Amino acid sequence: MPIEKLSAPVQDSREEDLKDPALFKIRDLIYRMSGIFQTDNKFYLLANRCQRRMTAIKSGTFADYLEQLTTRSSRDAEMRALLNEITIGETCFFRNQPQLDAVTKVILPKLTALKTKQSFKKIRIWSAGCSTGEEPYTLSIILLEQLAQKLKGWSFEIVATDLNDNSLVKCREGSYTDYALRNTSREMRDKFFTPDGDAFKVRDEVRALIKFERLNLQDQAKILFMKGFDIIFCCNVLIYFDGASKRRTVEHFFNALLPGGYFFLGHSESLYGINDHLRLVHFPNATSYYKPNPSDPAGDTL
Amino acid sequence: MNAATSELLTRRVGELRNLPAMPAVLRSLGECLSQDAATVNIDKVVDLISYDKSLAGQCLRMANSALFQRKTNVESIHDAVVALGIRNVRDLVYSVSLPKLFAGSKHGMAPITFWRHALGTALISQHFAYRLGIKPQEKFYLAGLLHDMGILVNALLFPKEFGEILETAKETETPICEVEQRVLGFTHCESGRTLADVWNLPPDVTTVIEYHHQPPATGEYAEVVAVVNLADLLCRLRGLGYGYYEAREFDLSSEPSWALLSAKYPTAQRLDMARFTFELDGFASEVEALVDSIFSGEHAT
Repeated sequence: MPIEKLSAPVQDSREEDLKDPALFKIRDLIYRMSGIFQTDNKFYLLANRCQRRMTAIKSGTFADYLEQLTTRSSRDAEMRALLNEITIGETCFFRNQPQLDAVTKVILPKLTALKTKQSFKKIRIWSAGCSTGEEPYTLSIILLEQLAQKLKGWSFEIVATDLNDNSLVKCREGSYTDYALRNTSREMRDKFFTPDGDAFKVRDEVRALIKFERLNLQDQAKILFMKGFDIIFCCNVLIYFDGASKRRTVEHFFNALLPGGYFFLGHSESLYGINDHLRLVHFPNATSYYKPNPSDPAGDTL
Repeated sequence: MNAATSELLTRRVGELRNLPAMPAVLRSLGECLSQDAATVNIDKVVDLISYDKSLAGQCLRMANSALFQRKTNVESIHDAVVALGIRNVRDLVYSVSLPKLFAGSKHGMAPITFWRHALGTALISQHFAYRLGIKPQEKFYLAGLLHDMGILVNALLFPKEFGEILETAKETETPICEVEQRVLGFTHCESGRTLADVWNLPPDVTTVIEYHHQPPATGEYAEVVAVVNLADLLCRLRGLGYGYYEAREFDLSSEPSWALLSAKYPTAQRLDMARFTFELDGFASEVEALVDSIFSGEHAT
């Protein structure tokens, strides 16, 4: 991801821009198309991302830009470009700490307690659309931490898939810049990475838990082989799919999950009207979708 | 609550002088509200609130905050009483008075943390009621604001025990009321109810205070308890909790309170929960900003 783009000075959105009704309509359109919702307090970000696109395509007002997103023949491409702007900078190690906390503090204790009864000591996670590898490596690191502490004797497997061959090459290299490690503590960096010139290379034990594979999530035949997962992550991938392929893919995720398993989307992403079988559940500052397990209903009371 | 707990609490509440008396301004406002609207002397209400300049200033800042979504700004307490009505102004006075009652107690929970949770629950209760189409939504504000009043009581009457309770809750990432029950034999629900009775609060508010962790399935106030019960949970899950991680999972659709509300209000079944959650996140940041801006001075520590 181009760093200079991320650190480009942010134009100040003016107060009256943030009250433009067209901007509210754009927000709702994005939600309907992609499931991504921009909260009121992040409106200046939404305005800013729209303005970047508006500059690029020479669109003068939010109302005109809304038209570009709805009635012009280039609308799908423009929506894609806008979503790219919105999700930019989402990839780094430890990107979404509340999600990771939900996994280590709530989900793993629950799943391992259930599986201890089954005497089957393995947890499998699928990182679907793993991009350049930050997500699966982060998961591997938190699992290694758990292995050393509370979950001795357990085995873990992470299957990380992506469609893009270049991304997979980067995954297998496992070498990252400072910028990708901006949310990683010094302690974690020293423990799980080795310096590699200007970069940091993930250690072998971190790689050992992961299997990288090329997979097109829209490949109806191949996706059927993905089965038996306890947790699936699919962050900022489905937002680019149209309604029908999104529903089909989520149905595959549902089938790939074990009963009692969890499905995570990206921050501010949701399954708007896509799947009725998966149930929205809350963790502190994170949400997930739960595949009901007849023998163990979710939903502890706080 | 059993008779022994009730007796113990009432005795402690009576014996201890450091339990907050109901602020005089609130007592008078309560009296005004119980009168026939036509006979209320507005100037008297305005004088009552304006007497305490810092209180009046904080009320105005709150009344004008984006969270209350009013079209025009109010510039004086008189404007506020005329534009918002005495009930809403009373709720504002409660909102800014509550954290002051914390002053001087040393028990481990920062007043600002308590305050964010109280104000968050008040606003989310009201917003939730609005989204479900329950009217009038205003009545949910005070119930939400005061639901955890018992935490204040426990912190003041049992400072040592409450400090330990908070410590344990934090370490084990469990809800405060579970630890209170183990350590004290009762929870902030019972002690809050005791103070609410001493203060003579309205019956819907006292019922919420006592039952917000065990919402009843039926009864006159079952609905308001259910709304505050869920708003409380949502606050704790969206960053307006007690300042520590509660390692829990929560499925709204399987909560008894949700079942009660959705049986009565068809809007509930159509509510897009994911979007509602996102909206709450926006709300939570605004609550934090408001509390920080109003109480960044003397009460922020």
